[in-house]
Amino acid sequence: MNRKITKLLALILTLSLVACLFAGCSKKSAAEEIKIGVLVADVSGEEALAFRSYYENYIAKNYSNVTFVYTEQLTDAAAEKSAIEKFAAQGCQAVISFSSSDRAIQLDTCIKNKLYYAVGSGMLDDAQFETYKTSEYFVGQIGPSMDTEYEAGYAMGKYFADKGVKSVAIYGAFIPNPMHVYRAAGVLAGLGMTYGGASEKDAIVGQIFGDQGIDTSKVGTSGVQLTGYFQGFGDTTFDELFGILGQNPEAFLSVGMATTFFTDALNGANIEFSDIDSFTSANGKAMSEGKLVYLAGKYSSSIGPIFAAIMNAVNGHPVRDAEGNALSISQNYLVATDADSFAKYSTADQGDTPIFNKELLDTVIGDSISYDSFVSLVTADRS
Amino acid sequence: MAQTKLTKKNRLRELLVTLLPIAALLILFGVLCMVVSSRGYRLDMYLRIIFNEGVVLAVVATGAIFIYSLGSFDISLGASTLFSATIGVLVYNSTQSLPLMILTIFGVAVGCSLLSSVLASVFHIPVFVTTVAMMSVLSAVAAQIITTKGGALGGIGIPAAVVEPLDNLPFKLAVLAVFAVLCVFVFNFTKIGRRLKFLGSNPVCAKLSGIKVNVYAIIAFVMAGLGVGLGAFLTLVYTPSVTPTTAGSIGMNILVAIVFGGMPISGGSRSRIYAAIVGGFSYILLNNILKIVIDSGAGYGISQIVSAVFFLAVVYVTSMNYRTKLLPR
Repeated sequence: MNRKITKLLALILTLSLVACLFAGCSKKSAAEEIKIGVLVADVSGEEALAFRSYYENYIAKNYSNVTFVYTEQLTDAAAEKSAIEKFAAQGCQAVISFSSSDRAIQLDTCIKNKLYYAVGSGMLDDAQFETYKTSEYFVGQIGPSMDTEYEAGYAMGKYFADKGVKSVAIYGAFIPNPMHVYRAAGVLAGLGMTYGGASEKDAIVGQIFGDQGIDTSKVGTSGVQLTGYFQGFGDTTFDELFGILGQNPEAFLSVGMATTFFTDALNGANIEFSDIDSFTSANGKAMSEGKLVYLAGKYSSSIGPIFAAIMNAVNGHPVRDAEGNALSISQNYLVATDADSFAKYSTADQGDTPIFNKELLDTVIGDSISYDSFVSLVTADRS
Repeated sequence: MAQTKLTKKNRLRELLVTLLPIAALLILFGVLCMVVSSRGYRLDMYLRIIFNEGVVLAVVATGAIFIYSLGSFDISLGASTLFSATIGVLVYNSTQSLPLMILTIFGVAVGCSLLSSVLASVFHIPVFVTTVAMMSVLSAVAAQIITTKGGALGGIGIPAAVVEPLDNLPFKLAVLAVFAVLCVFVFNFTKIGRRLKFLGSNPVCAKLSGIKVNVYAIIAFVMAGLGVGLGAFLTLVYTPSVTPTTAGSIGMNILVAIVFGGMPISGGSRSRIYAAIVGGFSYILLNNILKIVIDSGAGYGISQIVSAVFFLAVVYVTSMNYRTKLLPR
């Protein structure tokens, strides 16, 4: 008995010591420090890691008074709200969000806690933007809008249609994720297909949301045949993939994540494929050595301009449009169709030489920056 | 003489194991205060955040104690919470009536719980299996509703102003207290609680004593359903919207909370209502301490690994008392 109590006390003391050790490792924050909280839903993807590396290893190094505080993986709206409240408790002045469970609640929480808020990647729904665009704490949004997602899908579909491909398989990634729904709708339209008899964006998008995926029986084709469709990722995904590849489509079009999941299988099957993803090293290898022939991608420093917008807001010089609304600028993807164009974009955006470097960002950080200068910076051709 | 000494030792050991979860909660609370203060963070805000994070888990876990006391295991509670909240949102958006929304949430939650128990009773399927099936079905249906109705937003919700007046500490504390008192009363002062513990301790003996297993299983699931309903309502009070991932982690967190609270997973006579509340808040405190002290850049998942080590340590300590007995059940 005594031995057990001794063991127990030893355990408690050890745990307490460990806790105190961790507590003692704390850093004191400088008074003039700008602390920016970053909400993230994806913590391990190559794109997410590249974004983080850009902020922590380039921006924080070049703007020495800036510190980024990252969340762990956020899975729902309650976790997002709680994370923002913790940012406020930790003395952050602003929040950049890469998590989208409920952006309205994120904004409400930021407003309540007097934190500046910006959408790091992607955009608010139109109605949401209307609601919050005049809030002094809403800095803005720079990223692919849903229209841009549709256009990216459309361009990808059209690329293969123009190439004369006669049969394709489509991977819908994580539909009903809105971003993937819009891309998939664009792919169908770009391939010259109809969905449920519709060929207009909104009608196709609405039906895909309703069907929670692409119902192949509703796809109307003119030139290009759809030999197979699947979505999601689980125990049977590769069975579905190999079943579809067995029908010998000429191309495999993905609206996201295919390069993460299926590169080896598609290279092995010798089928050309495409994806909307990022300029990562894995994708570079797939394009130079494999069968990846089309990639619409984000690059790590594409999140630079929104950081600049946050800096202006925190420094008391928020950038607003002529009506006093928050920034809202759609940012296009870069498209690579061969190893050379891929190398051009990826090597131009690495380490200490990102596309949005300090020199470029400094042109829009200041006390008299206009909305138009931001638009020019973001929409300039970076290819 | 030797017998008396042994009894004293056993009592001391039992007392120690009973008090240990509460002591752990207090230690964790102290460590959190120390860690937050040493970093210069606002303690008042942190305490409010932790209460908000813990209250839903504590409420749902308190109801779940009734199921766990039977030695059963319900993994569908998170999905039930999501489904109840989803239907509640739909009802509010159709009727603009908060009372009707609340009634619906409770009705759906209790209904889902009953369905699990009735399926298990009627078809003689292990409860665990029916709850796994329920989890899949409820999650899928809720996701279908949310994504269909939510469209590009990816979620559905009610206007924040409807529940904003309730999003405060006194209201949530009152809800937790009232539900805990109700559960303590039913569990400790009625024959329902005694028989549930008896069934959990020794189902064969309980059946031979004339206790109807199915009836008490249904009562246990109804109480768990009430907890789920309250949890779903409090979830909406905190974030008045639901997405397919809402309450996704509650199912497993309940298990961890109950173990942290010092209750054996096998249920039986050592089941305690307070285990859910003590364990729920201990778990949330531990998570927050780890998130503060472990730099997120050090590697994702480290805090989960440390939590798992704590979990194993707690299971070891709480099992000290009954591992050595001849007839543990």
